[in-house]
Amino acid sequence: MILPEPIFIVDDEIHIRRFLGLLVRQLGATRIVEAASGDQALELFARERPGLVLLDINMPGRSGIETLREIRTLDAEVPVVMLTSLTSRQIIEETMSSGADSFIRKDTPSQEIIRILKELLTPASLENEAP
Amino acid sequence: MSSVTRQGPATARPPTSKARACGGDTAYGSTHPFPDKVLSSRAISEQLRGRRVLVVDDDRVNRRILSGILQSAGYVPVDAASGEEALEHYDKTRPHLVLLDVEMAGIDGFATCRTLKSTFGDASAPVIFITARNSPEDVAEGLEAGGSDYLPKPFRPREVLARIKSHLHNQFLADQQKQLVAQLSAANAAKNKFVGMAAHDLRNPLASIRGLSEFLRDSNLPADQRELVELIYGASQSMLDLVNELLDVATIEAGELRLDPQPCNFADLLRGCAFLQNIQAAKKRSRITLPDDTGAPTALMDVAKMRQVVDNLLSNAIKYSPPGSEITVAYHPEAGSAGFAVRDQGPGIPDHERDRLFRDFGRLSAKPTGGESSTGLGLAICRKIVDAHRGTITAENLPAGGCEFSVRLPALPWP
Repeated sequence: MILPEPIFIVDDEIHIRRFLGLLVRQLGATRIVEAASGDQALELFARERPGLVLLDINMPGRSGIETLREIRTLDAEVPVVMLTSLTSRQIIEETMSSGADSFIRKDTPSQEIIRILKELLTPASLENEAP
Repeated sequence: MSSVTRQGPATARPPTSKARACGGDTAYGSTHPFPDKVLSSRAISEQLRGRRVLVVDDDRVNRRILSGILQSAGYVPVDAASGEEALEHYDKTRPHLVLLDVEMAGIDGFATCRTLKSTFGDASAPVIFITARNSPEDVAEGLEAGGSDYLPKPFRPREVLARIKSHLHNQFLADQQKQLVAQLSAANAAKNKFVGMAAHDLRNPLASIRGLSEFLRDSNLPADQRELVELIYGASQSMLDLVNELLDVATIEAGELRLDPQPCNFADLLRGCAFLQNIQAAKKRSRITLPDDTGAPTALMDVAKMRQVVDNLLSNAIKYSPPGSEITVAYHPEAGSAGFAVRDQGPGIPDHERDRLFRDFGRLSAKPTGGESSTGLGLAICRKIVDAHRGTITAENLPAGGCEFSVRLPALPWP
């Protein structure tokens, strides 16, 4: 499948970035940009617009939700998938109301993560999201 | 400390069960509120010195005599000349015990006691009636009004003091128990928080170990290395399961299990779960079969939580039945409850292991038949979730072999 590139992977933990990097490569991605903090992600965002952002919620410094709100002032369209380590109703509601398109718990099995990303990136769902 | 300071024949004596339960310096630390030995009568008196006793009597001479007796024993008397005054003084001085005359102008002793108990509740001080009205009917009325004891006039000072001491000591012990319960609850809450945090922080790295080893496993590795990677993958998966279940237990124990109840038909729930579990079952040539949907009851439930229960019961049934088994499901459309049952072809549950079945880490002697792993927390979590729904979960051995796990939730409408 054709992925909108580049893909930003924002997480303070390198093992998560590498793991997700391998996953999206399996989906066909070739250009992956990693950021280890929200600030770093926003710096990169100023230089280049991604086609998909995978964004950790719980990061030291600027949190994922703050970063997401910042991203949304710059780009209302880019699909953003939040990465969480727990899924409380409160977190899901807060992420969704801050403009996230989806969220993935990090211990979700690989095949399930791939399915969620595919579903999010199929043209039909992109059309639905267009204003 | 207790074993060091205790001297003479006491050290030679084997510890009584009481001493074991109370001698808590090593188990609970030095703040443990229980004394480490049974106190002597004199030591108890010392401990109760300075307790405030409210003396309520409309006779000034009686008050003075009682106050003198109380002072001689180290208590601090507080006077009240009527029921009304007693209630007022009680609120201000918060005495540890009340000596209450019955026949007084204004509200009498019984009424005073009833007001006291209804106003200040369980925390109120024990009341001892001290009165010339002492027919058995009077005594009964006094005790029913909430009094703890009843003393006849004319009284004997020794008896008055002995009874006061007994009630104050009981109250002291009850306070200690309350303090202990509060301390233990706080310690338990701290433990739950710790387990929750530890489990939570382990989850991400474990997920990465599993995910990365999965990639490695699927790459072009020599067979011997592939086997090692497979082991890493399997071990990280088991650890992740354990961590997730520990997190569930910690959340539930911390009282943070919030249900989002909505009506759901058990056939819909079971169908979804059975589809996924059948993939696992197929690896052992086993199969889950569902009955006809008709008669499947509907109940109010937190669907995600109840799915966890169903998944657990189905995967257990597969796990403990021999390969090639048939797992069957039945619905319980009984009056007053709604539920389902899962029947396996496993070894059943030995009677002597029954009480461990739904407990944390209550692993039994039965082993998974296909090398699957078990954390010993699954059924404990099931029970906690079902309890939160005000339902029941039970296990019965079937006469023809195998075991049946039943879940019953309150039928609609929810009480």
